[in-house]
Amino acid sequence: MLGENMMMAFHAIRANKMRSFLTMLGIIIGIGSVISIVSIGDTMRGLFSDLYKDVGLTQAYVSIGYTVADVRQSDYFTLDELDRIREVFGDEISYIDSDSSVGTEVTAGRTKMKFDFQGITPEYQDVQPVDIIYGRYLNEGDLLGRRKNVVMEVKSARKLFGTENAVGKTFRTTIYGTTDEYSVVGVYKKDMNAFQALLMGADSDRGSAFIPETILTWPNDSFYFCHLFAAEDVDMNDFMNRLVNYIARMKGRNPEDFRTVTAVDEMGSVDSVMGALSMAVGGIAAISLLVGGIGIMNIMLVSVTERTREIGIRKALGARTRDVMLQFLTESAILSACGGVIGVIFAVALVSVGGAAFGLPVVIRPGVIVMAVSFSAVVGIFFGMYPASKAAKADPIDALRYE
Amino acid sequence: MFGRNRTKKVSCLAENENAELIRLENLVKIYDTGAIKVLGLKKINLTIRRGEFVAIMGHSGSGKSTLMNILGCLDRPTMGHYYLDGIDTAELSPDELSAIRNKKIGFVFQSFNLIARTSALKNVELPMTYARIPAKKRAARAMELLDCVGLSERADHMPNELSGGQRQRVAIARALANEPPLLLADEPTGNLDTAASVEIMEIFSELHKAGATVVVVTHEENIAAFTDRIIRFSDGRIISDEINPNPTKGSGNVHTAGLYRNRETGKEAVTC
Repeated sequence: MLGENMMMAFHAIRANKMRSFLTMLGIIIGIGSVISIVSIGDTMRGLFSDLYKDVGLTQAYVSIGYTVADVRQSDYFTLDELDRIREVFGDEISYIDSDSSVGTEVTAGRTKMKFDFQGITPEYQDVQPVDIIYGRYLNEGDLLGRRKNVVMEVKSARKLFGTENAVGKTFRTTIYGTTDEYSVVGVYKKDMNAFQALLMGADSDRGSAFIPETILTWPNDSFYFCHLFAAEDVDMNDFMNRLVNYIARMKGRNPEDFRTVTAVDEMGSVDSVMGALSMAVGGIAAISLLVGGIGIMNIMLVSVTERTREIGIRKALGARTRDVMLQFLTESAILSACGGVIGVIFAVALVSVGGAAFGLPVVIRPGVIVMAVSFSAVVGIFFGMYPASKAAKADPIDALRYE
Repeated sequence: MFGRNRTKKVSCLAENENAELIRLENLVKIYDTGAIKVLGLKKINLTIRRGEFVAIMGHSGSGKSTLMNILGCLDRPTMGHYYLDGIDTAELSPDELSAIRNKKIGFVFQSFNLIARTSALKNVELPMTYARIPAKKRAARAMELLDCVGLSERADHMPNELSGGQRQRVAIARALANEPPLLLADEPTGNLDTAASVEIMEIFSELHKAGATVVVVTHEENIAAFTDRIIRFSDGRIISDEINPNPTKGSGNVHTAGLYRNRETGKEAVTC
């Protein structure tokens, strides 16, 4: 009987192609926009999550809290302390540094340029790998000897020296009031997609390079952050607790006085904001589904009136109230679900084309599609209820007489 | 060939000869239009036995359509009883009436009432669909019925691609789909030309000979003349109820072999 009803429904929908299509259009637009918006949201979340993975999910910062009133000199970190932390936690820490960086102006021949120097240790290549295309990465000797060597990003090198292979070239810059000559020992390249470039602020006017951190921590040897990457397999919560406890003990403070920022927490909060946002916008888009549903109710009412005589014949031949009801409910559900399916195709095409245009990996969850199509069928059933019951209640004599 | 069939028919008729199919007891129908009450039927008493071929005649407004609706279980009497095949229909709910119409009554209407944009075959299948007969069996039986009314080649045609006579034959095939004990025809020839009218009435005659109970509502004398018993209505009352001693004989060209199967005996009263 259900199969029979579905056949009849397709028959009726085909019989009035234009009208059926226009009725579906409301649902097509509704479902299309819901899926597009949710997929755009999911894609953004995916991008953020990739971004954080790229930045390193085990990355964390520890510093003295903003609210601590009596900040002392001992609340800042020294390289010795980093070494001690490293020793105590051993393999649990893959990388640790002072998170020191400086923005300054460099001069090479006649070219002047703003540069950002990030102070690192050689192990940074293990946690944030880059492609060394010329020369070498910084080594232990550069670090311990505080050698004025840098590893430069390839585009910056091209801008500053007019060539990508800048190994051996020198430039002058002033760091902490001291002007010195620095040499390029390597050139690296890091691939980013459009979204990462946008977020990471790849300011094409500013150059960037890695420099031994000892150049930036010296002569004060006192810095605000302890910056580290935990090993991949550690439990971040437990690890951070133990770390802060240890640092607090080391510095004679309460653990509560220290502030931590971890990539995992950051990602979680960004993700939940993005999720809430796409839910909210998706919800607004769902209102258009309601409008589509009203369109279906309207056209089903017209259809029921037009087919009053058919309903009379069916009843005379033995159709029960339920049979007629089901026939029209099936029709409105199928009408709506067809709209849903077309809407899904439309949305997937739109999102995929958009994703391809911006070079972004598109996320379309199958669950969302299943939910959208089922929801459109539910809309059809809900808004088909009144017209169908009107049809089912028709008196066979009156219906047979209807012209 | 026909002789052999006749003997068969007589034997099965004899088994059910005295069985009542329809009994109306003091049937009253009042139309309440709000301001005035119209008496449609005034205490009708009527019995129709199995295998009868009856014409109900009367002018418009005589109450014959009202009776037709009640006999067809489309409407319920205001007072009195209508027993169809022993069931008191006055007590039934709309859905139970639907089931009765489906199983016990085959309708043939003046305006054919085939479902538009639906093939002849699907139209014939419809009563079986509502009887929850499986699709395969349904299609086979519908094809068989269309074959019997000589329309097997038109099975896939839509009603608007058929002539009036062909449409009415599809309607008859549809009426017979669930092998109902009662065939109820409301002005079945009203929209047909003379030739097609005769053809349709001959089919009814054949069905009657095969043991079917046929009730034809009409206002045309020459149509009523095909039947064995003519009941005349006027002003909501039966004014005469007579046996027709000389029913019109058809040309004998109409073949309805296998169209009607007697439900009680399970035997086909007419075979090819």
